[in-house]
Amino acid sequence: MSDLAIKTVNLTKRYSGLWSKQPVDAVKNLNLEVHRGEIFGFLGPNGAGKTTTIKVLLGIIYPTDGEAYVLGKPAGDPKNHHKISYLPENPYFYDYMTGREILTFYARLFGIAEPQRSKRVNELLERVGLSRAADQPLRTYSKGMQQRIGLAQCLLNDPELLILDEPTAGLDPIAHIDIRDMILDLRNQGKTLFISSHQLSDVERVCDRVAILNRGVMVQLGRIEELLAGGHVELIADKVPDNAVEPIKQLGGKVSLHDGRLIVEQPDNGTVDRVIDIVRSAGGHIISVKPYRRTLEDLFVETIQGGKNA
Amino acid sequence: MNATFAIAGATFGEAVRKRILMVILLVALLIILISPAFEPFAAGRGARTLIISFGFGVIQLAGTFIAIIMCTGMIPTEIERRTIYTILSKPVQRYQFVLGKFFGAVGTLAFMYLMMGIVFLIASRLALGSFDPQIVKGLIMFFFQSSLLAAVVLFFSTFVSPLVNYFLSGGVFLMGNLLSSFLETIQRNPDVHPITRIPVQLLTVVLPNFANFNVQNPIINPEQVLTDEVAYLVQTIAYAIVYMALLIVASMLIFNQREM
Ligand SMILES: Nc1ncnc2c1ncn2[C@@H]1O[C@H](COP(=O)(O)OP(=O)(O)O)[C@@H](O)[C@H]1O
Ligand SMILES: [Mg+2]
Repeated sequence: MSDLAIKTVNLTKRYSGLWSKQPVDAVKNLNLEVHRGEIFGFLGPNGAGKTTTIKVLLGIIYPTDGEAYVLGKPAGDPKNHHKISYLPENPYFYDYMTGREILTFYARLFGIAEPQRSKRVNELLERVGLSRAADQPLRTYSKGMQQRIGLAQCLLNDPELLILDEPTAGLDPIAHIDIRDMILDLRNQGKTLFISSHQLSDVERVCDRVAILNRGVMVQLGRIEELLAGGHVELIADKVPDNAVEPIKQLGGKVSLHDGRLIVEQPDNGTVDRVIDIVRSAGGHIISVKPYRRTLEDLFVETIQGGKNA
Repeated sequence: MNATFAIAGATFGEAVRKRILMVILLVALLIILISPAFEPFAAGRGARTLIISFGFGVIQLAGTFIAIIMCTGMIPTEIERRTIYTILSKPVQRYQFVLGKFFGAVGTLAFMYLMMGIVFLIASRLALGSFDPQIVKGLIMFFFQSSLLAAVVLFFSTFVSPLVNYFLSGGVFLMGNLLSSFLETIQRNPDVHPITRIPVQLLTVVLPNFANFNVQNPIINPEQVLTDEVAYLVQTIAYAIVYMALLIVASMLIFNQREM
């Protein structure tokens, strides 16, 4: 059995342009490897090709070139779909059905028979907090409630792999936290999660690894800590004599001294101690030492803008 | 199989919630119900013919409109609303989806025919004083005619837009109703050149023959004798089933290649 939940090899998807439109490569030579048990963030701005990739993984569309595998089998084999679940980008469900009806419908598609089926549906309605609204039609649900029905249908089959397309788009911050908690819960159960997003929220921060996609091309890939490495530490001190500047400058980083006020930006945590020693032995006062971490937002913006200029 | 029936059930549920279909059904029921009022316009034998042929006419027309309107959008709407994404992400084969849609359509037609049939039987009983078993046979034949039409529409819907589909399937329905008698006419005429005759022959064979189901002709004109009525009905129903099966298999093959 393959230890990869998702694997794509030079995956390319071209939408042939109708009439006047140019053909677009929505995804270009994508090589992805998502391990089992991992939370994988699939990030990129709108139109980057995230949904296209997901549609290929689910067999809704077919690759133009390259290959895609899900749980060790070629993508899109419905027999494999017992172990997969999918949360669509928007609640694309029959809105004339009630919450209970739609879950029952999907449970039947999964082949879950009665009496198991009603039990499972009730359990999940309870779990996502929709027991009271269960018999109202979906068209009366708020966006957040529809998303919760979406999550409930994802859990019907106790999947090994969950593919969530923009799970937090358009939700309020409390719903973000709910979803993040659910994701962490699923991780603890050993599930694999593949989460796409164009905006960064608390949810993406729980990812083990992320890939950043821009215009169909993967431009970043790695563990979050590695990608976010390269922050700096800022040290501010007062009453520092001029003669202390030289030894501090020799340690590297950005150094400025004005009227006894010293500001140092050190890229490396290790040398901050030495700066502090020098300042104090020269009679200065440390005011603050603050680590500045690079955020996912920084990385995202840098990567995408780098891509635009290229 | 469970998935197929789940999809058929959802399709039925959505069809009977469609206002336009319900309006057609209700109007048809109303017209059938008041049709005995036409009795005074014809006397004796004529009254029977008038009421039955009128009722069949209304039912056939309603069945035709319901089949076309219901099925043109059936698959395209799923794609447009993207409800199909979630369905195909489940352990559902694409052919099961197509089959489920078709069963849902046929189930809806069965429901509509049942309603219209019951009202027709009641109305004709009130007007004529007796149940006419021919009505049941006629209803069954028109039900199969509408189901075959539904399969035609569903087949076209896997590769053309709903608007184009209205014209295509409307055209096929008309041709399928008229071609066989047209062919008979030109075959009887020795002056017709093979260049005209052969394409008509070909079209008659290839396009579904909807005329076979129009049983009101022998019922209304009893002088037109069928040698073996049961054999004729069985044969026509078998023809419908085989033709529908071919159309559904073709639809599955096309739908399998489709991108959404
Ligand atoms: N069915 C389609 N036909 C043509 N172009 C499409 C189609 N779907 C998506 N695209 C194009 O492919 C690109 C990627 O889209 P998508 O995968 O939806 O991006 P994302 O989900 O990352 O926002 C976009 O440029 C989009 O316009
Ligand atoms: Mg998208």
